[in-house]
Amino acid sequence: MLAGAGSALLLAGCDGDKLPQAQVRPGEDVPGLDVPPPDGNPPQNACGDAPKDPGRVTLHRLNRAEYDATVRDLLGDTTQPARDFPADDHGYGFDNNADVLSMSPLLMEKYSTAAEKLVEAAWKKGTLRTCTLDAANPEPCARDILSGFARRAWRRPVTKQEVDRLMDFLALAKRHGDTPEAGVKLALRSVLVSPHFLFRVEKDPDPKSPTPHRLNDFELASRLSYFLWSSMPDEQLLAAAEAGKLRDSKELEAQVRRMLADPKARGLVENFGGQWLYTRAMDSAEPDKTLYGAFNEDLRSAMRQETQLVFREFITGDYKLRDLVDAPFTYVNDALARHYGLPPPGSGTPVRVDLSRHPERQGLFGHGSLLTVTSNPDRTSPVQRGVWVLEQLLCLPPPPPPPDVENLPPPMRPDMTMKERMAIHRSNPACQGCHRMMDPLGLALENYDPIGRWRMREVSGAPVDAKGDLPDGTILDGVGDMRRFVKSDPKLPACLTEHLLTYALGRGMSEADACAVREIAATAEASGGRFTDYILSIVLSDHFTQRRGETEAQQP
Amino acid sequence: MSKKFQLSRRTLLRGAGALMALPVLEAMLPATARAQTATGPAPRRLAVFYTANGIHMPKWTPRATGANWELTPTLQSLAPVKNDVLVISGLANYPGRPDGDGHHAAATAAFLSCTKAFKTEGTNFRAGISMDQVIANHLAAKKATRFPSLELGNDAGKGIGNCDSGYACPYANNIAWAGPTTPVAKETRPKAVFDRLFAGFDTGASQAQVEKRRAFGKSIIDFVRDDATALKAQLGTTDRRKLDEYFTGVRDLEKQVEAIEAEGPSCNPGISPDNNEDPRAKTKAMMDLIVLAFQCDLTRVVTFMLANARSNKVYGFLGLSGAHHTYSHHQKVQANYDALATIDRWEVEQYSYLLQRMKGIQEADGKTLLDNSMVYFSSEIADGDSHEHWNLPILLAGSGGGALTPGRHLRYNAAPLANLYISLMQAMGVQGLTSFGDNGTGPLPDLKL
Repeated sequence: MLAGAGSALLLAGCDGDKLPQAQVRPGEDVPGLDVPPPDGNPPQNACGDAPKDPGRVTLHRLNRAEYDATVRDLLGDTTQPARDFPADDHGYGFDNNADVLSMSPLLMEKYSTAAEKLVEAAWKKGTLRTCTLDAANPEPCARDILSGFARRAWRRPVTKQEVDRLMDFLALAKRHGDTPEAGVKLALRSVLVSPHFLFRVEKDPDPKSPTPHRLNDFELASRLSYFLWSSMPDEQLLAAAEAGKLRDSKELEAQVRRMLADPKARGLVENFGGQWLYTRAMDSAEPDKTLYGAFNEDLRSAMRQETQLVFREFITGDYKLRDLVDAPFTYVNDALARHYGLPPPGSGTPVRVDLSRHPERQGLFGHGSLLTVTSNPDRTSPVQRGVWVLEQLLCLPPPPPPPDVENLPPPMRPDMTMKERMAIHRSNPACQGCHRMMDPLGLALENYDPIGRWRMREVSGAPVDAKGDLPDGTILDGVGDMRRFVKSDPKLPACLTEHLLTYALGRGMSEADACAVREIAATAEASGGRFTDYILSIVLSDHFTQRRGETEAQQP
Repeated sequence: MSKKFQLSRRTLLRGAGALMALPVLEAMLPATARAQTATGPAPRRLAVFYTANGIHMPKWTPRATGANWELTPTLQSLAPVKNDVLVISGLANYPGRPDGDGHHAAATAAFLSCTKAFKTEGTNFRAGISMDQVIANHLAAKKATRFPSLELGNDAGKGIGNCDSGYACPYANNIAWAGPTTPVAKETRPKAVFDRLFAGFDTGASQAQVEKRRAFGKSIIDFVRDDATALKAQLGTTDRRKLDEYFTGVRDLEKQVEAIEAEGPSCNPGISPDNNEDPRAKTKAMMDLIVLAFQCDLTRVVTFMLANARSNKVYGFLGLSGAHHTYSHHQKVQANYDALATIDRWEVEQYSYLLQRMKGIQEADGKTLLDNSMVYFSSEIADGDSHEHWNLPILLAGSGGGALTPGRHLRYNAAPLANLYISLMQAMGVQGLTSFGDNGTGPLPDLKL
C-alpha cells in the first residue's frame, strides 16, 4: 500500500470519533466517484518529467517458490525441496518482499542439505555430466562442467578466478584419496550454497550513492525471469543479456512476450495471482461443516484452479486487465458447475465455459475461491469482502477498527438479514465512518453464500438483501452494480500497477513511487490495458531497469 | 519412512564438557536421560510454549495465591503436575503495545524480547533480541549442545494478505529473534525436525571417513564464506546486513560440520513422526520432539508456537465451528467465552502433556527432566477483545535445577515481564544482567522460596 498517502485520506474520511458525517462530504473521498485523485495518485501536472527515483531494492534471497522453480530449471529437479524449508514471511502482501526475506541458521542448514541431495540426484541422472571425466586428466571436463553450471546457477558469466576456486575441490578430493567426480560434486554443492545462487545479487557502482543507474544486463535478465517465471533466466534470455540486447526495448518486449507465453509463466499465476487474488488462502479455508457441508476437497481444488486458469488466460489473452471484474467466461469441472448452478460441462477437470447467459457468475466476484476465503467459517463477511475490494483493487486500505469495539451483533430476530445486523453495528459512531465505505461493497455480494453458492435466502430463511448504500446515496443493487462500479473506478489501473510493481520489485511502495505508478498505469492503459501492457509498461520503466544505492542518512 | 538413528557418545557428553566414556551402567537404563555424566550437575533447560489470541482470564486465574491455589476450569489438566507449576499473575509487557492497532503482531514480537516493534509492512522492520536467544548465545559460546536452540511451531505463514494492521509478518510469525532485524525461522514439520535432530551421524563410519566428511563439509563452508566476504565489500549498508544473516548461518553450519561424528549407540530416538497436519497429532509430535531433544541433550532451549499471532484456526475437533481470532473478540457474549475457554483448556492440556512427559523422565542426578527445566507458557496478550498487555496469563513449570520453587500462585502488581525473563536468563547461567528489552530492570522477586 502507498503507506500514509492513500490511507491518510481514508483515515480522515472514516475517523468515527470525529463526526464522520461532517468529514465525509458526498463525492469527495468515495471510491469510484469522479473526484480529485487521492494523494496516492497525484494530479497529472505534479509528476512532470522529473527523473524518478527507482528506489532501493534490498539484496533478495530466493523465496521457497523461487528456489523450487530455479532448481527445476537448473537441474531438472521437480521434487520441490523447499517444501522442507521454513515458511517465508511476507510484507506488503507478497512473500517475495526482499526486506522480510530473512536468512537463518535453520535455512542455511536446509540449503546445505538440499544442495547435497540435488547434486547427487542430478549426477545420477547424468544431467550435469556434459562430458566424461577422464581419470588421468579430469581437469578439462571438470572445468567445462563447473563453469557452465556456475554461469547458469549464478545467472551471470563467471570469471576464470571463480572457476579456478571451484577446481580446487578436485585437489581436495584427491588429497583424501577420492575421485575427481567427488571433487566436482563438492564444487557443484558449493555453487548451490553460495550467496551468488541464494541471493539475487545486484550491485551499485557506489553503494553509498543515491544516484540511479541502469542495472547490468544480467541483473535485468534475473529481474525479468523472477518477475515472470519466479525462476532463473533460460538460455535464450541469458544469451540475449550476454549479447547486450536487453538494452534495446524492442528486444526486451520480445523477451517479455516470449516468456509470458511459456508455461513457466505459471509462476506469475501462482505467486502473484495467488497472493493478489487470495487464491492461496484456499489451502486453509475451513467452512463450517455443519452449515456448509457441501464444501469438499474436490471443490477446494476446482475453485483454486478456476481462478488460476482465468488469470492465466488474462496473461496471454486479448482482454483488458479490468475485464477480470466481469469476464464472461470461467473454468469449471462438473462438481463446481453444479455448485454454481451452471450446466455441468461433462468433465472432471476444469474446462472453459461461456458465461454470457449466466451474468451472476461473470468476473472475479463470482469466483468461489475469493468468496470463500473472504467469509467466516459460518457466515458471509461483507466487511472482509469489502476490504478485499478496497485493498486489492482500489488500494484504499481502511484503517483497522478502533480498539474494544463490538463486533457484528447476533441477530435480534431469527430472520434478521446480514444487512440489518450490519446496520446496527454501523450505528456505533466509532464504526460508522469506515463501514460506510466497506459495507456497501461487501453487501452487494450477499447473494453468494460463504462457499460461493448463489442464494436468494440467508441460512435463517430471510431473503437476501444485496443492496449496498454508498455514502453519496448511490445504491449498489447486487453484483452487477458492484462490477460496474469497480470497473469504472479511475483508481483501478493505478492500484493494479501498485500491486504488480510491488511484486515485480520485491519491495513496498511508498509515496515516492506514486508518480511512477501513475505513469506506468497510464502507459499501460494507453497501450490497450491488457495484462501484457501492464507487464511491459513495468518492465520498460526506470523503476524496473534502474537501481540506486543508499546514503547512510537513509538508514533507520 | 522411519529410520532409527544413533547418537554418538561424544555429542552427548559434550554437554557436560566431558570426553570420557559413558558409564556402562547408566547406558543400560532405558528411560534415563543421558544428558550428563554421573559426576557433573544436570544441565538446565528452557522451553517456551506460545499460544495465540490471549486467554479468557475469568476461567484461568486462581483466586487463592500461594501454595493453596485452586485448579480453575482452564487449568484442570494440570492436576498431575500441580506441584510443579507456578501460576504467575499480574505481569505486564507494555513494550507489546502497538502504534494504533496491530496488538497481536506487536505483542508477539515483544513476547520474548520485551521490545517495541517498529510499525512497518516490511521495510526497516525492527524488534529486539529475544531472551531465549540470549540464552542460546550464552550456551553456544560454551559449545554446550549441537543446537544452540530449536524453534518449532505448528503453523507456517498464512500465505496471503497482511498479517496484522500494518505490522509485517515476521512480527506475527516468530517469537525467537537473534537480533533486532533477525527473526529466527521456525520448523513446522515434525518429521523435518526429527531428521534435523538425528541426521548427520554415520553409524559405522571409520574415523578416516568421518574426518573426510568433516573436511569436505568444511571446504564448502570456506568456499561460500569467501564468496560472501568478497561480495559484502561491494554492497550497501542494508544489503550488508542481509549478508550478515548469511554469515551467521554459515558459522552455525560450520559448528555442525565440526560436530560430525561416527559410532556409538547412546541415545535412541526411536521412530520418526509423520507429517500429520491434524493439530492434535502435530502438537503431540512437537511435544515429544522437545522431550527428545532435551533428553538427548541436543539443545537446552526450545521455543514453540502453537499457532501464529492472530491465528484464525478453526478447532473443529473441539466441536467449534468459528475461528479462534474471531472468537477472541468475544463482545462479552457467553457463547464466545465458552468457545474461548474450550480452546484455552485444550492449549493447557497440550502443555500439561509436555510437563507430564518431562516428569516421567529420570535424569542421572536422580531428578526428573522437569525438575531440571523451566517450561514457560503464555500468550501475547491477556483478554483478546480488549487486547490487554498486562495481567498476562503465565505458567512456569519445573524447578530449573533449583532456581524456582513451583507449586504456587504468585501475584504481582504490573511488574515488567522483562524482569521474569531476567530471572530465567540468570537461571540458565547468563551473568551480569541488569536490564533487558525496553523495560527490564532486574530479576523478579519471590520465584524461589
